[in-house]
Amino acid sequence: MSLPDFTLIAPQLIVLVTALIIPALYFLTKNDKVVGLVSISGVLLSGAYLAWMIIDGVSGDFLSVYAVDDFSLLLTGLFLTVVFLVLLSSLNTVERDHHHGEYYALLLTATSGMMFVACAQDLIGLFVGLELTSMSSYALVAFRKNDPRAAEAATKYLVIGGLSTAMTLYGFSLLYGMTQSTMFVDIAAAIGSAPTAGLMISMALIIAGLGFKVTTVPFHMWAPDVYEGAVTPISTFLAVGSKKMGFVALFKVFLVGFIAAQATVVTDMQYIFAALAAITMTLGNVVALSQTNIKRMLAYSSIAQAGYLLIVLAVATPYALTGGILHMITHVFMKGGAFIIVAALAYVAVGERIDDYKGLARRAPLVAFSMSIFLFSLAGVPPLAGFVSKFVLFSSGVGEPGAALSGEWVWLIFLAVINSAISLYYYARVVKYMYVDEGETSERIKVPVPFMIAILICLVAVIGIGLFPEPLISLCESAAAALMN
Amino acid sequence: MLFIDYAWLIPIIPLAAFLIIGFFGHKTPEGGGYIAIIAAAVSFVLSALVGYEILSGTVAAPYVNDIVWLEMSPGVVLNFGLYIDNLSVLMLIFSSLISTLIFIYSIGYMHDQGERKRRYYTEVSLFLTAMLGLVISSNFLEMFIFWEIVGLCSYLLIGFWGFKHPKGEKASIAAASAAKKAFLVTRMGDVSLLAGLFVLLNAFGSLDFVSLFDPANIAAVDNSTLALGSLLIFGGVIGKSAQFPLHDWLPDAMEGPTTVSALIHAATMVKAGVYLTARSLPLFVQSTDVTLFVAVIGGFTAFYAATMALNNMNIKRVLAYSTLSQLGYMVLALGAAGYMMAASLAAGDVEVDHAMGYTAGTFHMMNHAFFKALLFLGAGSVIHAVGTEDMRQMGGLRKRMSITSITMLIATLAIAGIPLFSGFWSKDLILESVLHVAEGGHGAASAVFLILFVLALVTAFMTAFYMFRLWYMTFGGEEGEASKHCHGESPRSMTYPLVILSGFAALSGFLILFGFADALTFNFVDGAFVVGGHGLSMIEVLEDIFLNPFAYVSIALAVLGFYIAYRMYEVRDIEPGRYNQYGESSLYKLLQKRYYFPEFYNALALKLAYPAAMAVEQVDRKAVDGTVDGIANSITGGSQMLRRIQTGFVQTYAAFVVGGVLLVIVLIYLIGYLTGGL
Repeated sequence: MSLPDFTLIAPQLIVLVTALIIPALYFLTKNDKVVGLVSISGVLLSGAYLAWMIIDGVSGDFLSVYAVDDFSLLLTGLFLTVVFLVLLSSLNTVERDHHHGEYYALLLTATSGMMFVACAQDLIGLFVGLELTSMSSYALVAFRKNDPRAAEAATKYLVIGGLSTAMTLYGFSLLYGMTQSTMFVDIAAAIGSAPTAGLMISMALIIAGLGFKVTTVPFHMWAPDVYEGAVTPISTFLAVGSKKMGFVALFKVFLVGFIAAQATVVTDMQYIFAALAAITMTLGNVVALSQTNIKRMLAYSSIAQAGYLLIVLAVATPYALTGGILHMITHVFMKGGAFIIVAALAYVAVGERIDDYKGLARRAPLVAFSMSIFLFSLAGVPPLAGFVSKFVLFSSGVGEPGAALSGEWVWLIFLAVINSAISLYYYARVVKYMYVDEGETSERIKVPVPFMIAILICLVAVIGIGLFPEPLISLCESAAAALMN
Repeated sequence: MLFIDYAWLIPIIPLAAFLIIGFFGHKTPEGGGYIAIIAAAVSFVLSALVGYEILSGTVAAPYVNDIVWLEMSPGVVLNFGLYIDNLSVLMLIFSSLISTLIFIYSIGYMHDQGERKRRYYTEVSLFLTAMLGLVISSNFLEMFIFWEIVGLCSYLLIGFWGFKHPKGEKASIAAASAAKKAFLVTRMGDVSLLAGLFVLLNAFGSLDFVSLFDPANIAAVDNSTLALGSLLIFGGVIGKSAQFPLHDWLPDAMEGPTTVSALIHAATMVKAGVYLTARSLPLFVQSTDVTLFVAVIGGFTAFYAATMALNNMNIKRVLAYSTLSQLGYMVLALGAAGYMMAASLAAGDVEVDHAMGYTAGTFHMMNHAFFKALLFLGAGSVIHAVGTEDMRQMGGLRKRMSITSITMLIATLAIAGIPLFSGFWSKDLILESVLHVAEGGHGAASAVFLILFVLALVTAFMTAFYMFRLWYMTFGGEEGEASKHCHGESPRSMTYPLVILSGFAALSGFLILFGFADALTFNFVDGAFVVGGHGLSMIEVLEDIFLNPFAYVSIALAVLGFYIAYRMYEVRDIEPGRYNQYGESSLYKLLQKRYYFPEFYNALALKLAYPAAMAVEQVDRKAVDGTVDGIANSITGGSQMLRRIQTGFVQTYAAFVVGGVLLVIVLIYLIGYLTGGL
């Protein structure tokens, strides 16, 4: 017996090893900047190796649990980008706290969990990745444990998270019992002969368990409280990282495991997802309208974005998945950018109420401009990234371009477009506050450099993807093809 | 060298101005105003040169030049490029020309706005960029992008005085809410337009004008899909060109600076909708129902908006209603043209020589651009001098502001349709084209067009009345309250554009005698179906117009409107109050209240949308933490709170999760049952 090829999961290993080094390093140096920068270097190293793997076209199979293909490489890259941005915005945010070693180590373990989910090709690998991320993020939410809001948020998150994990695991175990396999591909093959009542319950449990991660209504209630209570970089991490991981898991279980099986009872699932998508996007947008705290507003807008992404599971074509992946990527930059700005402003003592953003354009012109770009992109205003990804995602609902018009999902797309229009209202309100209204003070704000780097990266990405989406779309296409064929 | 190879520079030049002024405008004189003027003027010159090449046939129209923007799976390519034909050229020339003049005028008008001038010139430059980009886009998606930028700029510019309004806090709020209204209402149209794009992309696998207007491709597409796409696209027109029932934002948009109103009404924004209708006509004409709908919306808007202008006392609002009404005319003309073509296509007769409504609609669009820009700039000059928009406080300004009053009179004569002024020619053509359909023997549709014709005639009368009313109330009669402290004629940077525009307003109609109709054609079905151009000589055109008895009816109605306004507001021997019980009659109030449309929208939002949002929020808040928030805040100890949370509302969350699972199971079962899977 020979050893498996560890180079295939080298990016994950680099992140894990860095995570293990960090506590020791902190113990030795007691310097938060050092551990922060070492974490960033670890992520960059991992990213560089990943980039080489993408360019070199590496693919393969690690112990038949983890697969390396176009899909997993792209998504792994996405998660690394998320954690890179989160680390940049953490450097200043947590400088006055304690336990930096734990903070950075947990962030990195959570990330490696997400990277494993991206590669998983069976239920066990998937579950382990999910749990690694969940456990780490419970502790991260509780990071400022003396802050009552954070303690409350962490408790809620832990209790509901535990419940959801139990459900996911129960769903997985039923599925294994019926199909005698943990591999998604084998599950798809065996599903035709499984008892339908058991499948039903197993699917419902998995939807609920993973629905918690992706904040699907009615499993969304924790999200606004937790995003509001946690340190803002961690909110960013949950909203743009952990949520995407949930979607990756949903795609793997349902697109690869269930829907590919083409059994009638299973294809009916698409209607469930359509219903969930419709409820989720509408509730998210409508409730966001009346929020006064910017983090809560972004949380509800994030719920709405989850609704848009659920369209992928309803339509369930490779083209829809292309749109879904693209939207996940653009969402990282636009929502991540918005959260990072909130974190940066909280650091320089601007509050988290939307009112506190009045007159921001005079105080910090570049930050206000970036925030407007991110918000307009979230609303889907062309020619920004959000428009391109929504365009591809929504247009998948009426069939492949050039193919016959499919009326099945037109209602859903119509609803999504209406929802986009509604969302513009609350995004534009923030822009109006920043540019039109007078603030209480017009003192200039100086945002620390690491924040500025993160904001500018997001800004360049949002505008760049909007103007030249072509290379990214073809990457997403091959990723979608890798997953669904 | 051909200038058309540099046509892409036309929108790029104002874009450069936008960037330069945005970053360095505060360091240049007039907040970057001169840069904006130079950019607009260069764009105009280039547009004119490109226009010459297209119209003279040096370059075959349409000139298409695309680069691939993004390629979607199998063979679907979205391009970014140029599509320049006679219609684009027309739009390019008058948009850039009028914008140049408005920018020059702004130097005087905005002179005392200080630091805010930079913002103004930045935004108008972007506005012009978007409009020029819109009319030379080579496909619907690219056009949509510019279309949205136009919407964004209008929002910014209408809300220009959203803070620190020269007239105080209240006016600021009005400006901000008008801007929001314009953005949201036009956005409803945009949603429809975007849906239309989806339908077309799906049906054709492309959004390029070249392939969408190819008869072979059109024939391959299901007619009902095409009709659906056309109607959705027209929904965008209804929003942008403020047609009924999405018209209500335009009067409110008067809260912006007057120069912005002139831009929106004459050169940009609302003309984009008419342009889109004209551009998409090859798709619309596949269905008689669609074109009939277009004509009805246009005809009704023309009439409906004119009624509201009759008794308004605000000089800018009267002009706003007149814009609505005139846009209705253009849409009506295009609808009539479309109907003629649709009917003949349905009958399999592609030998129909022309549908003059197309010429009429586009011709009126150009003439209207000139005289409406002039009217707004004239009104701006008056407001600048007297400091009010209320016409009751004006009057007798003829002597104090001679240049403004004479140029305004020319514009009034033009819009009222007095012979030989520009409005006369195009309005007459519109009426004729509508009558043409009514006489065409199309059954019930002919009856509808007959009604539209009568409405259009009545509108012509109303137009003459309210415009002369405006002129006499402002410049004629006794001096009003505000006129007394008028400090004379406006500065030269404001009067020169007025004089130039009055030349165009007076004379642009004569273009019809020099082959305008032939220039503005489009070929359809391999040249067998030529719309617009009918190769008539000057004499034939004149015969066509002046041997038509209805032309005299419309002239007589216009003169009658003028005469009544003259007696009421100049001689003042007819007391207007007699006819409306001195402002107490219900009809008078109905018009003042804009048919209760704003109230209706507000009620809809307040009674329906807002409570719905509140209710959902309440449920969420209450279920989540409404009851506990108060308790939680009062408790400071962490452990105590943990206990509270554990016994308190996390249970609610958990209950929801479990309830959700049950719900999903029930749903799965139901769907399985309904589709027979179980």
